[in-house]
Amino acid sequence: MTARIVFGIVGLALFFAAPYLLPEFRLFQICLIAATALVVLGQIVVTGFAGQISLAQAAFAGLGGYGPAILAATWGLPLWLGIPLTALIVGAGGFVLGQLTLRVSGHYLALATLAFTAIVQLALIHSDAVTGGAAGMAVPSFSIFGITLSKGGELYYLVLPVTVVLFLLTGNVMRSRFGRGLAALRQSETAAEAMGLNVLRYKAAAFAASGFLGAIGGAMLALLSTYLDPTQFGITQSIYYLAIAVVGGMLSPVTIVLSSAIFVFIPEWLQAFQSYLGLVFALLLLGFIVLRPDGLASLRLSGLRLNLLRSGRGTE
Amino acid sequence: MSEPLVSIRDVTVRFGGIVALSGVSLDIAAGSIQAVIGPNGAGKSTLLNVITGLYRASEGTISFAGQRIDGAPPHLVSRKGIARTFQNTELFGEMSAAENVMVGSDRHHAYGLASAAVHGGGYRLMEEQARREAEDLLALVGLEGQANMAAAALPFGGQRRLEIARALAARPRLLLLDEPAAGLRAAEVEDLVRILRRLRDERGLTILVIDHVMALVMAISDRISVLNFGRKIADGEPAEVRKAPEVIRAYLGEKAAHAFGA
Repeated sequence: MTARIVFGIVGLALFFAAPYLLPEFRLFQICLIAATALVVLGQIVVTGFAGQISLAQAAFAGLGGYGPAILAATWGLPLWLGIPLTALIVGAGGFVLGQLTLRVSGHYLALATLAFTAIVQLALIHSDAVTGGAAGMAVPSFSIFGITLSKGGELYYLVLPVTVVLFLLTGNVMRSRFGRGLAALRQSETAAEAMGLNVLRYKAAAFAASGFLGAIGGAMLALLSTYLDPTQFGITQSIYYLAIAVVGGMLSPVTIVLSSAIFVFIPEWLQAFQSYLGLVFALLLLGFIVLRPDGLASLRLSGLRLNLLRSGRGTE
Repeated sequence: MSEPLVSIRDVTVRFGGIVALSGVSLDIAAGSIQAVIGPNGAGKSTLLNVITGLYRASEGTISFAGQRIDGAPPHLVSRKGIARTFQNTELFGEMSAAENVMVGSDRHHAYGLASAAVHGGGYRLMEEQARREAEDLLALVGLEGQANMAAAALPFGGQRRLEIARALAARPRLLLLDEPAAGLRAAEVEDLVRILRRLRDERGLTILVIDHVMALVMAISDRISVLNFGRKIADGEPAEVRKAPEVIRAYLGEKAAHAFGA
């Protein structure tokens, strides 16, 4: 308990000190890592904890980004209202998409969710009137209580707290009877059903959570980039999020932040090799799948368990 | 005899052209231990799977406590008060023994999503209760002190008993055991006999057990039904069934039936 309080105080101090210590560009990168990790958090809830392969994360992020921008442009709805509203709607959409799991699983589910991503991207490209079509649309700036947050250094005060709170809440839910239910259906669907678990409802709820988290993450990414371009929300991007989840470890919210950081920093480190970036990501993914299938979470640094939030693995 | 807890009437299960169960009827009295025996492929596991909703009966009805349950999905059958174990254990291998049991009892220690998200008072109270109940059940089946062990790391006999603890956590009125003694050593079978008798006598549980291990079946059963090729060929108290010529024929063949004077 005391360790947790100390941890919290140090975290808060770092949070408020960072803007004075780091240049604007670094704060922007921190936000980018946080928002990416949020999208990937949705991925590991559905694919890691519930064991359902999904490639819908880019679509959720895209909807989460476009939704508030469209609501603002059409009805003048402020973003602080539009973002959570959109996320709830996308979450409900995730629940409906989750009903697919009644009919398909495994590779077929991956294909079906891939098709969903392709359809959403096509819809974004071809709805010129509201989305600006292939040219994209601008994201209005975020203002609340008369304060406007537009640059990376300012958005920092929005993106980071939202990410931390959602990570804590999600981690808590995963370490409750709900997370236990997901872990149970992942390991034996037959036994989970026999124990009275409504397996379909649990899977659909996992999809709803991945939709909600993906949409909030997508909204944060949209705020950071200030411009929405439909090419950012395609199949490649979905695979990118899945790759981050694999490298981080499918059951570990803490280490996916690390892997998000790696994926955000790699383009910077390898500026000279820009054209080989895809190859580097692919090799990284391949390396982890072959050598470390449980991702960064399976590495232990000097006795420190990185997989702090791992639930449903009775090894503690 | 009073109203049976389970009443299976003329149940037939077909898979394409294969008839796994053919017109089987069976009553199970409340508070009794009923065994179903029969050679491999006789339809014993099919019977369990059709009761628990994993398979659908092509014909016939199944009632539990006066209500029809045939056609209901497995999770609803479970919630009516029927819990089971599996022939090839279906544990949640990565979870600890206690967590396995808690999955069974979670429905009885419910708290909301909001409480789970902030680990609030309701969460703490219910998790504490669930944990304590899980430890009691583990002690009941002889797994005390192994609550934190990963289920997959338990020895085979322990895994079988963990399945029983997990089933009990759902607080069933009817417990279905699919070959609980298969692969157990003689001493472990005796332990199992003691546990099952206690469950019937102290908790008033009704038990349907399927097994090949005669040491278990003869020791605990109030009634035994015999299946062969999907049909019920005998039904009665252990002493009667043991002598029934159809049973000897099914198990040992035609010649043996004559040799035994049947």
